[in-house]
Amino acid sequence: MTFSFEKAHNFSAAADEHFDGLYAYAMVLSRNRTEAEDLVQETCVRAMQAIGRLRPDSNVKSWLFTILRNIWLNQLRQRRTAPTIELDGGDSTAELAVETSKDPHDQYVSKMESDQVREAIQQLSVESREVILLREYEELSYQEIASLLDCPTGTVMSRLGRARSKLRALLSDKLHVPGRRAKGAAE
Amino acid sequence: MNTCDKHRADILLYLDNALTGWQLGEFQAHLSGCPDCKAQLEEEQALSSLLRSSRPLYPAPDGLRARVAAAAARHGSARTLDPDLLRKARLQIFSQHVRHLAQRAFGWKTLTVTILALVLGVVFAPAAIRRTRATAYLKTAIATHRSYLNGELPLQIRSDSPEVVTAWFAGKTPFHFQLPTSPPTLGSKPVCRLTGGRLVNYQGSSIALVTYETVSEKISLLVASSTTAVAAGGEEVRSGDLTFHHRRGGSFNVITWTNRGLTYALVSSLSGSAQHSCLVCHQDIRAQAAQGGSFL
Repeated sequence: MTFSFEKAHNFSAAADEHFDGLYAYAMVLSRNRTEAEDLVQETCVRAMQAIGRLRPDSNVKSWLFTILRNIWLNQLRQRRTAPTIELDGGDSTAELAVETSKDPHDQYVSKMESDQVREAIQQLSVESREVILLREYEELSYQEIASLLDCPTGTVMSRLGRARSKLRALLSDKLHVPGRRAKGAAE
Repeated sequence: MNTCDKHRADILLYLDNALTGWQLGEFQAHLSGCPDCKAQLEEEQALSSLLRSSRPLYPAPDGLRARVAAAAARHGSARTLDPDLLRKARLQIFSQHVRHLAQRAFGWKTLTVTILALVLGVVFAPAAIRRTRATAYLKTAIATHRSYLNGELPLQIRSDSPEVVTAWFAGKTPFHFQLPTSPPTLGSKPVCRLTGGRLVNYQGSSIALVTYETVSEKISLLVASSTTAVAAGGEEVRSGDLTFHHRRGGSFNVITWTNRGLTYALVSSLSGSAQHSCLVCHQDIRAQAAQGGSFL
């Protein structure tokens, strides 16, 4: 094998493109900013080391997410304890909201809504959180998610159905359903 | 299992446009006669819309990129090279043709890690942050267009009058923009027709979605402040002082550009070369922009 600059460049571009997604996945798994940052860092380091073994037709995004998940699972096994349930007070969304001249009311409403969505997602079980993140935010296909989670596609769909049902209940007052008031989900 | 239970499982597939053929027909037929399933579908659509509006769920802190690059470099050098060797490698990499020199002087295994670390070090610099922001804006533009096509983003102002739509947005976004007073034309025929607009949330801020349509296609134009949104990457087409960035995103054709403090993303399913796609609108509107319109 020879070193491929094209491969290095493609990898760096992919890591760059999926950086937010990796961080969000790490946050959803760990629910802790420090742990999430460590997970992303370790994922990138390991991905660099393994880039030579990556086939040209590989799905780089799924590959990166799989590495991150495996690292997290290994850490859990090593600790032999439940994951830390610590919600960060910090808000990185605010760091990126660089627009300062917008209507403060709109900014407040929009930020509050996003905060409520994040809080609702964090109340779900870890398997619900990750399937919501992977499908609704990262737009991975059911097959890609099944491969990543190492489970049948049907399981992914049923987990997603349960997770969405729970979210509908948690966010019922935020859902703008045309023609009638939103009601809580069955759960 | 009753009929509703059977079709509940189809709702997610329907939302993903994954139902086709007779399954789609059967589901739609059931939906038209079942208020409960219709109500659940509407709730699922509302949930999807709410989740999309909260993207990105957790944006990565900018500082993390720098830390990752530094950690990657440390990790690579610590595992494979002593510091003197690493310094020599870096000097040689930057001063000569890297690939040939690297393969002659060192083994590929050690240098792969080193070079990758250097590549990442460059990538995760401000230019990388710029590209990430460009990608985020691109993704938002595509997701917004898809939601608009799916009926999840109803227009808040419906008008084919640029003056009316411009006036509606005034004061609602943290930036000012003005639509050109007449649509772009190809020869003497209008390329598309303005249909209206609405506000869209982007990173906690309101930005503008302006919609157009041709005989067969709907077109979205996202307008945001260039302090928030960046146009970069893709196939570049230059015209005058402007640089258009043309990319395919899924089944969509996306063109982004920045002008006068605003960043635009035009999304459609229209086919054609980058050059043609960009310049059809641009050549015609350019004259108007020079007269005061801020479309370009």
